Amino acid sequence: MLFGRKKRKPILIPAKKVKEWKYTTCNYCSTGCAIEIGLDDDGKIVTSRGHARADVNRGKLCIKGILEHDLFHSPGRGSQPLMRATKQEKFQPASWDQALDTSAAKIREIQEKYGRDSFAVVSTGQLLTEEFYTLGKLVRGCIGTNNYDGNTTLCMASAVSGYKRSFGSDGPPGCYDDFEHTECLMAFGSNLPEQHPIIYWRLKEAREKRHFPMIVIDPRVTMLAQFADIHLPITPGTDCVLINAMLYVMFDEGLQDQAYIDAHTNGFEELKVTVADYDPIQAQHICGIDEDMIRHVARLYAKAGCAMSIWTMGINQSTHGSDGVANINNLNLVTGNIGKPGGTSLSITGQCNAMGTREWSSCSGLPGYRALKNTRHRQEIANFWGVDESFFPEKRGLTQTDIFPAIESGEIRGLWLVATNPLTSMANQPRIRKMFEKLDFLIVQDVYEDVETNEYADVFLPAAVWAEKEGCHTNTERRVNLTRNVIAPYGDSKPDFWIFNQMAKRFENGNKIYFPETPEGAFEEMKHLSIGAGRTLDISGMSYDKIEQAKGIQWPYSQGDDSLKGSPRLYTDGQYQTPDGRTNLISVKFRDNNEKPDEKYPFWCNSGRVVEHFHTRTRTGKIGNCNKFSPTPYMEINPDAAEALGVEHQTYVRLVSRRGDAVVLAQLTHRVPRDMVFIPFHFHDCVNRLTLGLLDPYSRQPAFKQCAVRIEQVDQVEAAQLNLERRSF
Amino acid sequence: MNSEVKELTAKPEMIEIQQADGSTLWEVRTQEQPYAFLSDKAILDTNRYGQKIDLLDLTGGQLPKERPLFINDNPEVGCNPNRNKQHAFFFTADNCIGCHACESACAEKNETPAHLAFRSVGYVEGGSYPDYQRLNISMACNHCDDPVCLKGCPTRAYTKHAEYGAVLQDPDTCFGCGYCTWVCPYNAPQLDPVEGQVSKCNMCVDRLEVGLKPACVSACVGNALDFGVVENIPENREQAKISIPGFPDPSITRPNIRFQQTRELPEEMKRTDSAPVKYHKAADGNYKPVVDRKQGTSRAWNLTRLSSRENPLVLFTLMSQAAIGAFAIAFFGAQAGIPALQWFGGQTLYVPLLALSLGLVALGLYLSTTHLGKPLRFFRGFNNLRHSPVCREGLGIALFMAFLGLHLLCKLPANALFASLWQSLFGMPVSELIQPDTLATPAATFGYLAIVSGAVGLYYMNRCYRIPARPFWNHWQVATSFYGNALSLGTIALGVLLLPTLLLTGLDSAPATRLLAALIAAGAAIEAIGLWCHNLDMTAAEHEGAASHYVQRTTFGNSYWLRNGLLGLGILSGVGLTAFDMGPTVGLIGLTMLALALVASSLMGRALFYVLVIPTTMPGAFFWRNKGFEQHARDIGLADMPQVGVAPLRH
Repeated sequence: MLFGRKKRKPILIPAKKVKEWKYTTCNYCSTGCAIEIGLDDDGKIVTSRGHARADVNRGKLCIKGILEHDLFHSPGRGSQPLMRATKQEKFQPASWDQALDTSAAKIREIQEKYGRDSFAVVSTGQLLTEEFYTLGKLVRGCIGTNNYDGNTTLCMASAVSGYKRSFGSDGPPGCYDDFEHTECLMAFGSNLPEQHPIIYWRLKEAREKRHFPMIVIDPRVTMLAQFADIHLPITPGTDCVLINAMLYVMFDEGLQDQAYIDAHTNGFEELKVTVADYDPIQAQHICGIDEDMIRHVARLYAKAGCAMSIWTMGINQSTHGSDGVANINNLNLVTGNIGKPGGTSLSITGQCNAMGTREWSSCSGLPGYRALKNTRHRQEIANFWGVDESFFPEKRGLTQTDIFPAIESGEIRGLWLVATNPLTSMANQPRIRKMFEKLDFLIVQDVYEDVETNEYADVFLPAAVWAEKEGCHTNTERRVNLTRNVIAPYGDSKPDFWIFNQMAKRFENGNKIYFPETPEGAFEEMKHLSIGAGRTLDISGMSYDKIEQAKGIQWPYSQGDDSLKGSPRLYTDGQYQTPDGRTNLISVKFRDNNEKPDEKYPFWCNSGRVVEHFHTRTRTGKIGNCNKFSPTPYMEINPDAAEALGVEHQTYVRLVSRRGDAVVLAQLTHRVPRDMVFIPFHFHDCVNRLTLGLLDPYSRQPAFKQCAVRIEQVDQVEAAQLNLERRSF
Repeated sequence: MNSEVKELTAKPEMIEIQQADGSTLWEVRTQEQPYAFLSDKAILDTNRYGQKIDLLDLTGGQLPKERPLFINDNPEVGCNPNRNKQHAFFFTADNCIGCHACESACAEKNETPAHLAFRSVGYVEGGSYPDYQRLNISMACNHCDDPVCLKGCPTRAYTKHAEYGAVLQDPDTCFGCGYCTWVCPYNAPQLDPVEGQVSKCNMCVDRLEVGLKPACVSACVGNALDFGVVENIPENREQAKISIPGFPDPSITRPNIRFQQTRELPEEMKRTDSAPVKYHKAADGNYKPVVDRKQGTSRAWNLTRLSSRENPLVLFTLMSQAAIGAFAIAFFGAQAGIPALQWFGGQTLYVPLLALSLGLVALGLYLSTTHLGKPLRFFRGFNNLRHSPVCREGLGIALFMAFLGLHLLCKLPANALFASLWQSLFGMPVSELIQPDTLATPAATFGYLAIVSGAVGLYYMNRCYRIPARPFWNHWQVATSFYGNALSLGTIALGVLLLPTLLLTGLDSAPATRLLAALIAAGAAIEAIGLWCHNLDMTAAEHEGAASHYVQRTTFGNSYWLRNGLLGLGILSGVGLTAFDMGPTVGLIGLTMLALALVASSLMGRALFYVLVIPTTMPGAFFWRNKGFEQHARDIGLADMPQVGVAPLRH
């Protein structure tokens, strides 16, 4: 009956007439998914798709990746350089020469007046590796300021610091393939389904083939926590106590891999003494996980044939970030779970090229994991670039989180921001705002001219984005992957690579040092700098064509290797990047320094990502099919707490901390405990008006996820109006 | 399951891929992954309802086997060996992580704007921290065995294809009445307020033709969504349930979706969106909707919110009911020999009454046309008489208008006013053209025909709202309201002309006043009985209808009681005016007050009827598919930013 129509209606489905597919790597998170962008006969982008053969994503993409090709022409793009004499004036369009000349002159002027280090540069984890390398060359070799850092200090610094302290070098030792082998997985403050959906899919695939226990440590009942075999709803900021207590149980019951400890580690005895103070009986009262459960989990982990840990910001963004990473490393070292399939300490990185900046940007040292304090390293780079070795400082300068207080104290007078939005992303925004007001000169180099920090800029340099450029990313599993240039930059925006090259010409050393014209030329320099016996960070065997052919290659991958297969794991031979080749067991003592809920501010303020947004929403906030899933700020609050306060679902509340206030919609859910609110961090004028951001002593990373707030009722009409006024996208 | 399993000869996968590689229907990715390919090894003969899965068998072999789908006019026939089998989604609810990959893959492929989505993910949640669970539900069109959208659509924009059993809709045929969005229990058809037309999930038939699963399924990151021939359980899955918490009653449409949901859930699962519905575990382990008193129990007016985008329908239904009622009472009363009406039938103002009826129904129809997304396509409203109550309603009303018009024409020569007009214009009596008496029989015939078509129109107008997916409407109260209003409002319209006639001719108005009062009271009483029973039934119920009724008594509680009060007052005063002769002046004033009270109560009641209905749709999320947030975004102006995903309403 229903089928029997003589005349069927026409079927129209949008046809994407793709003439050519171009190879790229996703520009959002660090998973490193390969994306093919489809161009039609006119060279117009009509669609994109995950690359079915790329080992990382095997054809899958998350929401952001699927819709990423919509961003090239999204609103707010910077189409021409902008300048103004004072911050009270409106921006005026400028030519690139004017903008760069003014910028360089101002940088030199400030440096001459207040010293070389009085001008700071803060970059990002979003550029391509060749651009990071070039920026490092420009800053370290030409501008010569030691106050140079990336916003990776806000996300990955603790992982870097922890890796360095344990293994003597940065570099995640494991890979996604470890899911296929592991017999037990422990996830600390990592919500893969929301933050790294494709890594979650790899984990899910492995678990569908072969179930293995998954333990999730998170104060929130995230989707991953819900799917875990064991969820440990830990008290915020006490991971070290939990890990120490687990180590206590392992040592107490002789569950450690003594042979591995004896053969490859230093510091075991000291660690044993330290953890002796963390009997689960006492520890349970601090970390909120009961004694029996601590013992159960410690045994489960230690007895597994191989076990792995992953973590993300739940560990990194705390005052025990670096310690937490070192302690997770301890857990894996004492159980012999490093460098073997299914046994690893795998930091799940945040930004697409956080690894690239760690490897090559010279932020924390010199290119290729070289250190400023190492004379040989300084000499190598000075010789290679052709500058005087004495031009380099002998130790690292300030991190991003120390650069801003130095602006406050007047030591730093000028700042160049590259692809980062500290006005939205840094803790304690009220204080950050005052710091921006103090700057003599600010350059904002960004894809979007409506990036909030531009409010304080003197010069705005419009940058090209993603596949408007060409170059590499390194992902969480050390896989170097390529983005081919697909389309021309928007308007008169320019690739960051070009901007750095042009800026270099305006400095004395810039005319001495060779700056390759193409990213591939810079890549050749990086390859050369990665040659060396015993180096883990070795990309010397790679080339753009080989990377595209292999759909990404994991380092180390040395010259002459034609297998197209990189190294899935580090430290497989038990040799670490320390002077004696042995890894360090770091003793971690718990310091209780967080601002905790009290009578005046009775709620923990926790923050984190939602899957549809990236960072400060400058990209995803303009792509409707992303943004619509959370277009406006909100918080999760426990319904019992809400009832006691008279807060109703989907009404506005005002949150108040010792720093400032924020207005959000309330979402009542038992996902969070009664004494906690959770707020997505993506929104401008939101969670960072509240956060404290105590710094980790080693990594200088802020503890975004631990501070205390109270909740106030607010007039609904006025709050709605305020909410609207605070959103330009 | 009593169906026999029919083994298919397994085809080597490579052959399929090679075929697909040359296809102009869809480009298969280089070295596509196995998860993207359809993989039905064996196929049952019938589904669990006993319906044949082979759609050519189902149609009795009337259709050719290798018929092209003509996707974008492409005559290529896909290489999929199972293209004539009913396909279905398979959703492992245990696994969905709510990551929106399916939704964005769909949006990317179909190029849907932010405010529309062929597939949406919502969730229900339950338990207490940390023993908390969220169940995400990803839902698109279920390409039902019994596609109520297809049956309801007045324009025949829908086709259920013998290829894959896909229920596809043609936006270029659609005139944007939105009726399919009312009848679908899953919110699958999407009415775009910007474009003024509906579009929906197309099952990615282009991908199916080359052996690939739909884009949403291929994109799934949680291994939750799957797709294949209906009743086939994917590898590594064990169940094929027909329901999960939050999913509407599958008996409404026999949807082609199967579920796995093995994780034990809390007894109560709540929705985060504004719908006052939650789900309770019943004895059989399934979850049933119950009212969630989210807005508390206090009563409010919210009079301004009674105005909605359905305003034209409020007026259309009331005006056409009044028109049909007025004519029916006047004509039938005269035929039946009721003195006042028989007398009025011969009066000059009888023709103006006909004109008033005609004008009311014409204006109503015009307003209902403005409700369409594409008003200029209104003539397509009769294309699906075979299935759609909307078509039959429209036809009934149109015929009523036609017969009423003809009746009016037949009545003209006998009309004194018309006769004198004719005389002055043409200088001869109209009786020279035609004898009024010769028109008496045709006039009566057309009158009876108008009444029959009006009654049929009203019946189907009532059928339009008897929608299982809208339990608040799906009650016989719709009929009593519509016929009751025809009687009460029709009498009022009649009275507007009858009483002045009486007063002008100086006759005794008392009998007519009492008759009119009686008829109005009767109409109001019919409506009130229906509403009373509706109230009892909705109070006793535990479905979305009960939730609507809860909103009626709280958010609109004061308005609801005012309406009830006016209706009660109307009945009482009607009875009073009928029973006691109060003299012409008091009688007239009383009747006027009664009429005003009933017009007001009808307007409020009908507005409530449209505003209150809560469909059985899937749960939404906190922002997306949350009516409460959509309303808020429109109220404060967030909706003016297109990326918020809430389209501002056009008026």
